Amino acid sequence: MLEPKCPVMITINKLDKTISSGSLKDPKSRRIAEEILSLMRDIAWGSASSEHIPAIESLAQELIDEGSADACIDTGKLVSSVLSEHPECFLNHVESHNCPTGDCVYLVPAPCQMACPAGIDIPTYVTLIGQGKDAEAIEVIREDNPFPWVCGLVCTRPCEFMCVRGRIDTPVSIKFLKAFAAERAMSEGRYKNPKKQPANNHKVAVIGAGPGGMSAAYYLALKGYSVRIIEALPVAGGMIMVGIPRYRLPREVIDREVAMLEELGVEFVYNTRFGKDISMDQLKAEGFGAFLFAIGAHKSYKLRLPGESDFPQVVDAVKFLKNVALGDRHMPGKRVVIIGGGNVAIDAARTCLRLGCDEVTIAYRRARSEMPADEEEVEQAEEEGVKLSFLTIPMEVTGKDGRVQALKCLRAELVKREGSTRMSPVPVMGSEYFMDVDAVIPAIGQQVDHQCLSELSDLKWTRRNTIEVNMASMATSIDGVFALGDAVTGPATVIEAIGGGKKAADSIDRYFSGIPQRKTPPVPVRHARVDWLEMPASTKMVLKRPEMDLLAIDRRRTMFQQVELGYSENQAREEARRCLRCDICRRCGECVRVCRDEMKIDALQLGYMNFDHPVKTDFRQTEEKCIACGACAENCTNDAMQIMDRDKERVLMICGTILNRQKLVYCEECGAAIGPAKYLDFIKKRFQEAKQIKSGHAVCESCARKKTAPFDVEKVPLPL
Amino acid sequence: MAFHRGQKIEVYKKSEDEGWENYMDEFVGCHGVITDPDSTINDPDSLIEVSLEDKGTHRLPQDSLRLLAD
Repeated sequence: MLEPKCPVMITINKLDKTISSGSLKDPKSRRIAEEILSLMRDIAWGSASSEHIPAIESLAQELIDEGSADACIDTGKLVSSVLSEHPECFLNHVESHNCPTGDCVYLVPAPCQMACPAGIDIPTYVTLIGQGKDAEAIEVIREDNPFPWVCGLVCTRPCEFMCVRGRIDTPVSIKFLKAFAAERAMSEGRYKNPKKQPANNHKVAVIGAGPGGMSAAYYLALKGYSVRIIEALPVAGGMIMVGIPRYRLPREVIDREVAMLEELGVEFVYNTRFGKDISMDQLKAEGFGAFLFAIGAHKSYKLRLPGESDFPQVVDAVKFLKNVALGDRHMPGKRVVIIGGGNVAIDAARTCLRLGCDEVTIAYRRARSEMPADEEEVEQAEEEGVKLSFLTIPMEVTGKDGRVQALKCLRAELVKREGSTRMSPVPVMGSEYFMDVDAVIPAIGQQVDHQCLSELSDLKWTRRNTIEVNMASMATSIDGVFALGDAVTGPATVIEAIGGGKKAADSIDRYFSGIPQRKTPPVPVRHARVDWLEMPASTKMVLKRPEMDLLAIDRRRTMFQQVELGYSENQAREEARRCLRCDICRRCGECVRVCRDEMKIDALQLGYMNFDHPVKTDFRQTEEKCIACGACAENCTNDAMQIMDRDKERVLMICGTILNRQKLVYCEECGAAIGPAKYLDFIKKRFQEAKQIKSGHAVCESCARKKTAPFDVEKVPLPL
Repeated sequence: MAFHRGQKIEVYKKSEDEGWENYMDEFVGCHGVITDPDSTINDPDSLIEVSLEDKGTHRLPQDSLRLLAD
């Protein structure tokens, strides 16, 4: 086993060694050392309070002052010095329940949680959903993400890419479970805000009511800050409101979650453009002490084609989607071409269909396999009737009398260029043709529109035309000014913006409190270690990720009704049970090694434990070979693998999945459980000298000793 | 687009790009999955979202990444 790097764990190991070595002769010192060890273990297991560290300091000092021998004084000094050398580490364990080294296994996040840019404690809330505790699940999610319902519908779900269950069959449907719980909690009136701290009289201005800005506002409001969000549009939501169409994300979902912020006292000021309607100086004069820019990336790239600016029927996708979201439901034309291959192009195309366009084509210069849009979105678009024209390079927008008539295109072929691994589209000479259309919607990407920030002359920008920040603190080059979201990363994901919001809120809080800013981004924090859901191995293996029911195709072509209809209660509860609880099992593989190499049984077929080369996993196979010896459980440092005797059976389980269940054999003499028959056979083979067992009788170790011993110690008279 | 969603990658070197921050040095050698490639403009120069095993999700310059064989 590797040496621990965590100061907490190192101290625990040293204290444990000192106590068990017996070097602390004085009973009082030994008791104090044991108390320190117990408090240290609380810290390592995430169950310590703010009083633990002062208590340890005081006990260590007691050892130093009153220790009767060098060993006692040295132990006190050891503890005292580690506390003074690593105060942040101890505080981190106590306050954030975090062990960045991974040594304190109870405090290490699961891969899905680590993958979430907002660091949501996924195994905890998924298990709560499995238990039917939807409102509690939402509470856990909102510790790190104030928009569980929005994310349940539109998140790009990086968590599912890291989901360990995906190494067995398919990842747990984390995103849809979140949507299910949010909707259920909201409909039951159990979706509540946590209690906010008392007002601290500091004012923060957030520019932009997108997911990032609003997330920061939420966490700042909870910390007692007075927050005003200034938004150029007449509605809150930013890109999730005006960039994502309603058939993916109904407006009511955004409105209900925004209302939770209003309930916390966050002030929204709409139709107000920073730099035009209001300035930094005006806000400073009103007493705002910190500023957070979450202005997004709403400016479309130009195609730079002839004719692009000559016709009003050429409208960029961002503007088109925004107009539709704000109520303009006129179709852009009968035959529309959308240029691009990303999610925005797909959204624009599907929106056109719903507005009544007869023919909607997506022109993309590469092949389908190169298309960056989500596969599911592409499939749904095709089902609805969107045509895809691959290897199509637009050349010119042509028309007459102010109306678009066609898009001149060239066919392309993919060629691997020297020194590059990527296939590049190369035009096929002489392949020009005209695609008859009456509207063109370019969707080739967005950038930050920094016109509104021109008054901030000291604000530094990257070469990518995004605001330069320290990604650990989201602080810009101007004191007291922070930035996040697409304005910092370029067009990115909703969940990244939300994660940035929480990070920025923490940094603004540090700014006001005079605490140094973080040097590295925060590590996700675990909020609980809830009991696992118990089930047989066969259930764990046969449960399959449910297919999402979709709206009927005719409605999808004609209405903005939500396409994905959500999971039923039964589907959600069953899906939650597929979670492997990687917050408990760290997949160290020690159980597999011990069973295979030490016991020579090799009963554990747990191939999912390897990230790079996962091999077959079948929980059901364990039962075939396992003798229920318990060596795996004994060597599990995380309590993930457990063995227990109950209901006349010996049961072996990993994170609630019952791997083996065997009937117990009882001692013929005293009635004590002595293990399952398979286990006794194994022992018989290994220890031939166990005569009583060998001769066909089942007796426990104690009774066997009694029967084979030459005399009974209890009946031997005591020496005088 | 050099990378696709779901592909396994290795952070095999530091990048000279301005998007590379000091704390990212410890990511060199880590394996992970592409979770959000440059999804709009096919720009090999853009920062892409990568989930690294035990290190979280970050946006990294593409020149620091290489694909891992399945």
